[in-house]
Order: sequence, then structure tokens, then C-alpha cells
Amino acid sequence: MEFDDEDDEEINQEDCWALITAYFEEKGLVRQQLDSFDEFIMTQMQEIVDEAPQLELVPNQQHNPTQQANSERVYAISFGQIYLSKPTWVEPDGETTAMFPNEARLRNLTYAAPIYMDITRITKTTDADGVEETEEESIPKVFLGQVPIMLRSTYCMLADSSDKELSDLGECPYDQGGYFVINGSEKVLIAQEKMTNNAVYVFAKKQPSKYSHVAELRSSLDNSRPASSMFMRLLNAGQVKHVNGQTMHCTVPYIRSEVPVVVIFRALGFVSDRDILEHIVCDFSDPQLMEKVRPSLEEARDIQTKSVALDYIGKRGPTQGVTQAKRIEYAKQCLQKEMLPHVGIKEFCETKKAYFLGYMVHKLLMSAMGGRRPDDRDHYAQKRLDLAGPLLGQLFRQLFRKLSKDVQKFAQKKLDLGQDFSAIEAVKQKTISSGLKYALATGNWGQQKSAPGSVRAGVSQVLNRLTFASTLSHLRRLNTPIGREGKLAKPRQLHNTHWGMVCPAETPEGQAVGLVKNLALMAYISVGSAQEPVLEFLEEWSVENLEEIQPSAIPASTKIFVNGAWVGIHHDPDDLVKTLRSLRRSEDISAEVSVVRDIQAKELRIYCDPGRCCRPIFIVEDQKLKIRKSHIRKLNDQEDEFSWSHCLANGLVEYIDTEEEETVMIAMNLSDLRPDNYMYRYTHCEIHPSMILGICASIIPFPDHNQSPRNTYQSAMGKQAMGVYITNYQLRMDTLAHVLYYPQKPLGITRSMKYLHFRELPSGINATVAIACYSGYNQEDSVLMNQSSIDRGFFRSVFYRSYRDEERKMFSRTGVAQSEHFERPNRETVNGMRNCSYDKLDEDGLVPPGTRISGDDIIIGKTAPIDTQAEDRLDASQARYQRRDSSTPLRSSEAGYVDQVLLTTNGEGRKFVKVRVRSVRIPQIGDKFASRHGQKGTIGITYRQEDMPFSCEGISPDIVVNPHAIPSRMTIGHLVECLLSKVSSLTGDEGDATPFTSVTVDEISRLLQNFGYQKRGFEVMYNGHTGRRMDAAIFLGPTYYQRLKHMVDDKIHSRARGPVTLLTRQPMEGRARDGGLRFGEMERDCMISHGVAAILKERLMDASDAFRVHVCDLCGMIAIANLNKGTFECRGCRNKTKISQIFIPYACKLLFQELMAMQIAPRMMT
Amino acid sequence: MAMRHVSDPNALPAHLELQRTQLSLGADAPTHTATVEYAGAYAAHDLDNSFSLARFRRDFRVALHHLDEELIVFDLVGIDCAIANAFRRILLAEVPTMAIEKVFILNNTSMLQDEVLAHRLGLLPIRADPRKFHSRAPDEDANEENVISFRLKVECSRQKPDTGKGSNDMVNDRVTSAMLQWIPQGDQQDRFSAQPIRPVHDDILIAKLRPGQEIELEAWCEKGIGKTHAKWSPVCTASYRLLPAITFASTPRAHEKAAGGWADDEAAPRRPTARLFDLAEGERPTPLVTRPRGCSMCLVRPYPNWADKVKLGKIRDHFIFSVETTGALPPEVLFQEAVKVLMQKASDIASLLKDVAAGQATAAP
Repeated sequence: MEFDDEDDEEINQEDCWALITAYFEEKGLVRQQLDSFDEFIMTQMQEIVDEAPQLELVPNQQHNPTQQANSERVYAISFGQIYLSKPTWVEPDGETTAMFPNEARLRNLTYAAPIYMDITRITKTTDADGVEETEEESIPKVFLGQVPIMLRSTYCMLADSSDKELSDLGECPYDQGGYFVINGSEKVLIAQEKMTNNAVYVFAKKQPSKYSHVAELRSSLDNSRPASSMFMRLLNAGQVKHVNGQTMHCTVPYIRSEVPVVVIFRALGFVSDRDILEHIVCDFSDPQLMEKVRPSLEEARDIQTKSVALDYIGKRGPTQGVTQAKRIEYAKQCLQKEMLPHVGIKEFCETKKAYFLGYMVHKLLMSAMGGRRPDDRDHYAQKRLDLAGPLLGQLFRQLFRKLSKDVQKFAQKKLDLGQDFSAIEAVKQKTISSGLKYALATGNWGQQKSAPGSVRAGVSQVLNRLTFASTLSHLRRLNTPIGREGKLAKPRQLHNTHWGMVCPAETPEGQAVGLVKNLALMAYISVGSAQEPVLEFLEEWSVENLEEIQPSAIPASTKIFVNGAWVGIHHDPDDLVKTLRSLRRSEDISAEVSVVRDIQAKELRIYCDPGRCCRPIFIVEDQKLKIRKSHIRKLNDQEDEFSWSHCLANGLVEYIDTEEEETVMIAMNLSDLRPDNYMYRYTHCEIHPSMILGICASIIPFPDHNQSPRNTYQSAMGKQAMGVYITNYQLRMDTLAHVLYYPQKPLGITRSMKYLHFRELPSGINATVAIACYSGYNQEDSVLMNQSSIDRGFFRSVFYRSYRDEERKMFSRTGVAQSEHFERPNRETVNGMRNCSYDKLDEDGLVPPGTRISGDDIIIGKTAPIDTQAEDRLDASQARYQRRDSSTPLRSSEAGYVDQVLLTTNGEGRKFVKVRVRSVRIPQIGDKFASRHGQKGTIGITYRQEDMPFSCEGISPDIVVNPHAIPSRMTIGHLVECLLSKVSSLTGDEGDATPFTSVTVDEISRLLQNFGYQKRGFEVMYNGHTGRRMDAAIFLGPTYYQRLKHMVDDKIHSRARGPVTLLTRQPMEGRARDGGLRFGEMERDCMISHGVAAILKERLMDASDAFRVHVCDLCGMIAIANLNKGTFECRGCRNKTKISQIFIPYACKLLFQELMAMQIAPRMMT
Repeated sequence: MAMRHVSDPNALPAHLELQRTQLSLGADAPTHTATVEYAGAYAAHDLDNSFSLARFRRDFRVALHHLDEELIVFDLVGIDCAIANAFRRILLAEVPTMAIEKVFILNNTSMLQDEVLAHRLGLLPIRADPRKFHSRAPDEDANEENVISFRLKVECSRQKPDTGKGSNDMVNDRVTSAMLQWIPQGDQQDRFSAQPIRPVHDDILIAKLRPGQEIELEAWCEKGIGKTHAKWSPVCTASYRLLPAITFASTPRAHEKAAGGWADDEAAPRRPTARLFDLAEGERPTPLVTRPRGCSMCLVRPYPNWADKVKLGKIRDHFIFSVETTGALPPEVLFQEAVKVLMQKASDIASLLKDVAAGQATAAP
């Protein structure tokens, strides 16, 4: 596309937002999930199948003398093309239908698509004459199993659906997918952070230690296989005998002890000292560096030939006592296949490996000499994110391996028995289906059997549906799998390189602080592109291969690395980099390839691996943005097809990853790009600095005016706010849901909210808030709330809870299958019925919608069969019972109305029911509320309007917060938001509270003053009780408040008497079981120090588990007591008279009896 | 010898008189907000501060400023703030009205939950004179004296088979208060023939429907007070403010104005209505209160140069009262009702006290 650049205008800040809008219109907020999953489905899955070797089967038949072996048959099975269909579902009655996500959610099904595979069976027959005959039979589209499909990915039924179609399917048009539906529950795959492979890091060891520096490398050929780690350590002087100075040792895979570095060089075939030195220091102009290598050469002076070196390594291998030839062969294989696999695992890679090893040594020594800084482990360029695609890829590889192993086993068994085998039969469908389902359902990633340590927990989580923002935030979460107990602070701290990639505010508090992160709004995770086009290009651009160069040429030229592997050198890096970048900007090579030119180290690193964090920024040339006003006009033009990807392809913006970011100059604002600016070397410019924030932090108005921890608190609290969590909530049966009656979009908005759909699905109300001390009922983070406002619907919400049950199949002892039934249990024939109301049940055993129900009412009536033949039915009174009750009562602390009842069949074809109960939650004393600035509080008291203070206009606040909440917390944003909202309520517009913009408090004040108000938002108010003017001006204005899910009605609890645990007869624990309140150690300490032992005894024993026992006075053991007859006896002592009655805790009695069972006699001497 | 009363002219020194009758507005907050009530407060000046009905009768004054269907604004002068506040509080919470209290939902297939629908109905202002009804005791049967019945039956449908995208072809997709149909009980038809009972506003949206959804219900209005639930509050709001008192400490000279000494135009609010005082044009500029009844506090600070030359106060016993009705009763009637409630309260207390004096005190009702 051609643009007249000369007379085209510069863009302004507003135009940046047009571009950002274009970005989110195209990408949405869960693109990383969808892209990654699509990559898995489209390419990775086939790659995994392709890399599986052909299965060779040789029949191992038992010798059969009657049968003559006239021909020999050898079989082989190879796997071919994979096919995936759209999600379908086979009803238990055999009917196959298309599956839609909401049906899967409602019926507890798994939203999955079947995969099929072409299998080729090759039969090679060699007859007695030695004539070979090959017969190929291809079996097309063998059913392999079911693969769960990510919602809104390419293979999802909802892909490319319009909003209308989505609502017709019962989906919310605002929901962006990115999760799975497994057994009816929505599961997200949390991105897992890991260290990058194939990069050499050098760290200084903390002294005192044996080593001074360590070079580390995790090498892996492709990202799928486990990486092989390599450590090269620089020992401190004196650690090796007879050698003066620091020597270097290196680990080799499968070799037990570390090997001197020089020995490895010799084993690779670089024997002479000169050869080795050439690979390390390249030219001999640096005597200091040469001197550093000397001790290592000296250490290895006894091992002077390749074979001796190989033998040295082989001796330290796992098998001992083998011949020298075998040892050498083993060592050779080790070096070729296992050491530095990313450089090459084929033959004749020795030169490359030696160069790479030399490069490592060089880096290690330079660090030791202070020539370069040690690497930073927490630098975000060193991190890769495993998203849904790679995670599923790992799992699928394991499962497919298992599947092919099973196929082999099955076929071998059949062949050994002399039978033919069918490939279709051999493929077990369950392996992949249930393997994937298990991992997604439980979050335990990896096969349990293969390596117990490799299983990661919590990879898949249940999607949070409390509020829309919490759902979005959950879909963009990152996890660092480091032990939460780790004391190390470094990995938890915010790093400079997180800028624009990871939200600086949104992280949990407590044990996972800094380990769980959230993606910034515009962060993009690379999905990975093929490195072949890059390699071809490099070849074309005369990059010299390592095999063909003189080591002395290296220092003068630039080393070129592709994905961490050293591929060659180049003499004109300037030109090369320029070309590479221009190719990337025109999308001749993938836009996500990163080109890092490290001038100081003379390296050019090119990356195209998956999992890198990137972000888009404007490209600047000659102090001018490449993007012009004409582009923006085209973006804004609805007719024009011009979109974000066109901007990318036209080189107006580009993705820059964390590593490349270090090599570019980025202007923070458009205004920094003045030609007269002293800084004139900008190469890029930020699109907008507020894009560094994540989902939850983007909801905060004026976060740049707040103390930073407050933004973190709000980011956590925003997830507990209630609003409309999704528009199709009436069509869903979530176990828990809160929906606000009258949600409002905030008066103070940030620009980012547009992309989060916060204005469409808000989670709060613009409350009129006064900051005042009034009556004293708002101390210590409590607030006053206007009861009249509450009467009018202020912060009312609906609470939904769903109960579910199914008719399970039971087997009696005689093996007869019986089923549970939904029905109205009858007290005459059903055993074990509760002491509560079954009256609200209909004939079908379910409560009809609209019924009012309260605590402990039965809402699902169900009976289970009892084994009428069972011998243990001794009691004649039990005989009349035919069934046992198995009904579901409403939670005892809740009440409400039956909202909806769903009766259907589940995956196994059983009758399955979900009942949704609804209740209204009216704000009351103790309910929790929060502004958007980490200012939370509970209601201390509610006052009617006439008791609230009122202004000269008669306005009374909805909420009164205490001014003491402000100074120590420094949430200035709270005050600015209030001021801005006050202006907005007068103008009728939305106020712009986006961070890092030019809005100032003075400007807002001026606007407010123009409306005839005190410019800083103060108002004179009258006391509602006395009618007098108050002695202070009150800061009054609208502030957006959120209702949090914590409500007293869900927490209130007391107990006088109640259920006890079976074992100890102590009170139960927890509110749900009507448990007691624990009188703990600290309370006990208090009572002791108060000297009130009787109270202590009452709490701990009388009110808990006091128990009467009778004790023999002679032996001190428990005696037999028959209270009915009044006879007491200790058989051991033949004592019937000297018996005492004592009271001890039942737990104590239990302990004594357990001790007695262990042959210890605790005696209670009275 | 009869003591002179504080309110007599020139009884108190000027500065104390100012403090007694006005509260002053400081730079950031009002001061002297408390009323001096104690009869002997000025005993040191040999002055009587006791309340006298005669003086009250003489000084008390009501002046109407504005009256329309919804709003009344009037001055209440010469009254203690406790009494003025009592009127305000009674207006908000204790003057009864009629509001929907019981809703019998026969069918509701709308997206709105029954509770939400009922709550919305409850908040509708009903035009029915509450004085003509009794409040219904908890176990009392409903009759024409205590209940007004409404019926709502709406069904949404498509007028014609789909006329294409975007066009609104639905009937009854918006349920408004006008659809509430009064069902007269007993003699209600005759009693209210002059002014049939109906919601005050016809355009209040109750619910939105989609084709096929319907609402059918019966709603009962009962008499109640705002204390029980805000829906019974007869006023949108009732409030008052004090009359500002603006005095100029000195008169500016011409050159001062020229030098920008008084009116600092840049800092002054742009809107003329927002200005409370200004300088009159002329040879010798004189300060002028442009809006003597305007609110003041908010406007002191924008003129930094005026701060020490203008003294702002509020007259302690001059209330500018405004009452905005929800529509059940006219605003002026509401205030009269409030006065009646207060009088009833006073007479209740009086009779109780009488009983106490007679030694027959029983537990208060």
C-alpha cells in the first residue's frame, strides 16, 4: 500500500487509541490461549504422530512340530495422517449428534472432538526361497479418541459465529472462550513459566564454595523433549592437586563425575593445546585469557589422545567392567547423542560442538575475569511460557507413546498366539480420551507412572466465574512452578523487563506473591515459527558455516545464533540485521521472530521458538512514526478492511520480545519524538504506557495516583466484586453465582475498560460517598450505609446456588444391578429419612420452580435400594423398609426460591438433575464493600435518609467512609476519582481516569468550580440528627463502589448444642456442619493466666466430650458397670465393691483404650 | 425587675450578637454552629436567654418563594433548627403514603426475577390520598379501607412475522407503569371518582419483555411510612439550608480594582450565576451581593483576594426550606401533614406527661 508520506500528518494520542482498538478487535483478550491451542491442533499433533517410529512386529510363535515353517512373516504398523472433526457426542443410545458448549456445561459432558488416524499395516512375507513380498494395507480413519476442544478455537462450534448465533446457542457474546469444558466444568490451562532452553548463563557462586563461577545450559533439540542440562564449573584455585590456578570441569550426560573441559575437547578430536585454545579464545591476542586456560590444559596433560580421553569419559559411565572398546564406543555415543543435543545429534558434529563448548568456556572465563557481567536469572528474556498448546503437546506425546506401545503389545500377543490382529482393535480409544480428560479435570499434568516427580499440580483450574473481569484475568494468568515455601525473594520481585509483558500490580498476596503473575493487556506470546526459512535466508546472505572458517576469523566478525545454536559468523552484521528486520516488517519471515543484535558481545541472536513474551510498539524512523494519520483514517473507516494485521504487515508496528527490547530505544510518549529533543536515536515508541497494566489493574481509575500496594489489593478485590459475570447466567447452572440488581458503568472510566467490556458487564454502583466521621459507626474500616438507598435497591444482589444429583447404579451382593430413583420418599417404606420437610417435592422427587424453601428442606428426593437379602438385617423393625433415603437437603443456613430445575441424562445415560436455588441478598450490617482503590470496609450501621447528613441541595450520601482510611494508605486516586465523578455527574459524560495521561486535579477542579461547586469537592453539610451545620466541610461526591462476595449471612454462626464427631465425641468443626467454635491454645493460655481453671474445665470437658467411666480402685483400670442392675465389677481384681465413678474426656478414654491395645496399662488411681 | 432579653435591640455587644445569630464561615469550615439554648447563658451580661412564646409569635415568619406541582420553597424564619429539622425528618420518614406492598405473581416468564419485579413495583409512586385510607394491621383482612388493588397483565408478541433486521416489530416489549390497571374495591370507585387512583407517572419502565414472555400479577397497595421502607416516603427529598449573610469589611477603592485587588477575574468562576457577589460598575465601585439567597461556602475561596474583605455568615434561624414531592400529595399539603404529625407527637407526649403526673403512667404505646 502506498501512502503519500510527505504531507501526511503526525498522529496524536487519540489516534493511538484507534490503533489499540483495532488490536483488540482483531485479537480479543484471550488470543494467546486460542493461538496456542490452534497451533497444537493444526501442526503439533501431526508432528507428534509423525515422529513416532514405525512399529516392527516379528511373530514369536511357539514351536509347532506339525507345522512347517515354510515362510516367514514380519509385520509393521505405521501411523499416518490425523483427522479431526468438529465436536460431536454419542448419546448412550448410540445416536451421534453435534455438541455445543452450553449443552456440555449443563449435562456435565466433555466438549471434545473425535480424532481419527490413517494406519498402514505392512506385511512382509519371505517365503522358503527367500523371495520377499511386501503387502501394504492402509486402514483409513481409525478412531483414536476424543480431544477436548478449546472454546472459540478454530475447531470449536462457535468459531466465527456472529453475536446473534451465539445468543441462539445460549452463549454470551462477550465471552471470548479460551477454556475447555470437562465433565461440565470450565477449565483453564494456566500458562507455566520456565527457563529458556539453549542459552548459556554464567553465574558467580556465592563464596565460600568449591567453585568460583558456573556456566549453565539447558540444551534441547526441540521443546518437546526434556532438556539435558550441562554445567561447566570454574573451580577455585587449589581444588585440584598439582595444578596451580583455576581449572574448569564440565558435566556430561550419563557420566557420573565431572570431566575436565580439555578432556572433552580431546574426546571430540581436538587434541593439541593449540587447537583447543583456538576454539576457546579464537585469537591469541589476549594473554590474560590464555593464562586463564593454562591450568585446565595442565590438568589434562596426562590425557593426550582422543582415545585416552574417550576412555577417561567412558570409565565414568554407568556400566563398569566392560571392555575398553565398548567404553570408548559408549563415550562416543554419549558425546554425539546426549551432549549439547541442540547443536546436533548426527555424526560429524564435533566441530560445531567444540566451537560451542569453546564459546561456553569463553563466556565462563570472561565472567570470571570481570569482562562481562554475570547473567540475571530473573531477566524475563530468559523465560518462556508454556501455554495450552505446548502443555497439551507434552501430554499428547506421552499418551500417544503409550498408545503405540499398547498397540505393539496387543499385536505381538496376538501374533505370538498365531492369530492375526486387527489394527482397529489394537487401538485403545480410552488411552487418549481419558488421559487428556484426567489431566484437564484434575490439573495433574503428566503421566503418573512415568516419573512421579514430573507431575505438576494445578495446571488446569476451574475457571473463575465470580465477575467478568475475574474470568478474563484467570484466562491470562501465569504461574511460576517454584515451591511456594522458597525463601528466595528474587524470583518474586518485579523486574524491569516485566515492563509491558506482566502486570506490575496484579499478583496475589501471601505465599504466591510474585510467582503468580498476569499478562499485561497487549502482551503477546509467540506460538513459534519454523526456523528453516531463517536458516535459508542466512545461508543466502553468506553466513559462513562454522566448519568452513578459521577460528582466527571469529573475533572480527559477528557470531550468529538461531534459537541458541551457533550457526555461523558474518562480517557485515549491520546490513544483515537491517535486512532481517525489513523482512520481518513485511512479514516475509514471521512477525514474531526476534532479532537481537548484541553489539558488545558481537553476537546476533535470532529466536523463533514458542513461548516468548512480546508486545507491539510503534516503529520510529528519523524521529517520526511510521504510522501516519492516513493509516488511522483507514482504521477508523468501517468500510475499509485495513486492520491491525495490515499495520503489522506494513511495518507500522512490530512485536518486540523481551530480549530484543534491550537493543532498541523506545520513546515513552509521542511527544518525546520532537526533532529538537536531545534524545534523537529512538527506534520505537510506546503505543500507550497504560498498556503495561493487566486486566484487573486496568479497572482502577488513576492508579498512577495511588501507593502501589493499593493497586495490588484492588487487583485482588476486583475479582470478588459482584456484577453481571456473564450475560447468559440464566441459561447456566453454576454452583455459585452472584448477580447485582442494578449494576452501573462507572463515571470515572479508563480507556482500557472498553476492551474488557467493563461498561457492558459492570460490577459496581456509582455511590454518593462522603468522607466523614459521623456518629462513630464507621471506625476501623467500617462504613455507614444509607438504609433508604438500600430500600430503593442499592447494592441488592441475587445469589444462585445449584445442587446436582444423579441416579447411580448400585450392585447388590448377589450382583444384581439396581438403580437409585428420583422419587418422593415414603416414611413407611424408606429407611433413614431425615427429620425435615419432604412436602415440597413433586411426584417426580424434585421441587417445582418457584417454591419457597428454607434451611434443611429436601429439594431432591432420591432413594437407593437396600439389599433385602442381606444377613445383617437382624432387626425385625427394619423389615418393612424397602429402600434407603438418599435425598439432598438445602444448606441449613440458606433459604430462597427454586429458580430452575434441569432434568436430563448425563454422559453415562443416567438420569441427572440440577436444581438452582435463588435468594436475594440485601446489604446489611457486616456486608463487605470496596472502592476501586484497595479501600474495603464492612457496613457498621445503616442509617435512614433522615439520619444521614445532607448538603444544601438536600443530597445525602449512600455511603460514609471514615477519613482515617486515607492518609496512611495514600490512595489519592480515590479522591481524584470522586472529584472527577462529581464533574462527570454534572456534565453527563464519562470522565477519563486513564493512567499516564495529562489529566490534572487542577483541571478537574476548575471544571467543578464552573458548575458552582467548591472546587476541591467539599460541601457544607447539616447533621441529620440535630439539624445543625457540621463543623467541617465534607468531601462529597460519587465514587464507584463494589459489593464483595463476603456477606455476614454466609458467615454468621453460633451453636449451643449440636452434632459431635463419631470418633472422639467432640463437637464437629465448621459452620456447614453446625460445628462448635474452637477454644484454642491461646484462649486456653488466657484462662490459665486469669486463674479461672473451672471455666477452662467447663469449656474443654463439660461442654465438649465429658464421659463417665467406672474405675477399679485396686488396679486403676476401667471396670465393668451395669447401671441397670447396679452391679460393678473388676474381673481382674475380683473386686465388686471398691469401684469409683469418674468423668474424663471421651478422647482420653479412647487414648487409654488404644494404649491398652498396645500392651500399655494406663492406670487411673482414684 | 425584669431582665432584658438577649434578642432586644443592642442588648448584646455587636461581636457577641453576631456569634449568637449567625454562624460564620471560615476559610475551610463553618464555626459557631451550635445554638445557645441555655436560658442563663448570657446571665453575665444581665440578659435573659429563655424561650418566650410571645416573642416567638412575634418573630416567627413564613415566606413562600416557589410553588409548583412538585416543589415548594419557602422561608422559615425565627425557629430553632431542632424544630426545622424535626419537620424535615418527619417529611422523610413519618408522613404516610400508599405504596405497593403485596404482589401476587400469577405468571412471570420475563427475565426479571419475581423479587426484583416486586421490588420495582413497590417503588412506584401511587397517586392516592393516603389520608383516605387506614394502615393495615399485620393480621387484619384486606378491605376497601386499607388496600388498593392493581392488576398487570402484559404479553409480548411479534406484530407481524419478522420484518427484517433492526426494526422493532414487537408489541408490549416495554412494560410501563401506565399498564398498571386499578381495580376498585368496594366503594372505591365512587370515593375516588373525582381523581381515579393510578401511578403518578405513566412512563416508568417496569420490565422489558421479548416475544412470548408475559407478566400477570396483582399488586396491593398499603399505607405505610418512610421509616418502615423508603418506598413510603412522600418526598423525593426535603431539606433546608440557612440564609447567607454577606458583609463587606471594607470598601475597595478604584485603583484597587484596577490593580486587580478585588475581583480576580481569572480565578473567578466563569459562569455569572455561580458568582455570589460582584463589584457594581461605576465611578466608585461598590461591592454588591448579586444573589443574596445563593449558596456561599463553595464560592469563598475562588477569590483569593476577597478573603479578608468579605465576611460570610449564615443566619442561624432563617431556613430556606424546600420540599419536593413524589406526587402522592401536593408539596404544600405534605408540609402541613408534617406539622400535624409533630403536633400529634407533642400532644401524645403531653398526655403521657399528664398521666405520669396523675400517677397513672402506663407503658407507652
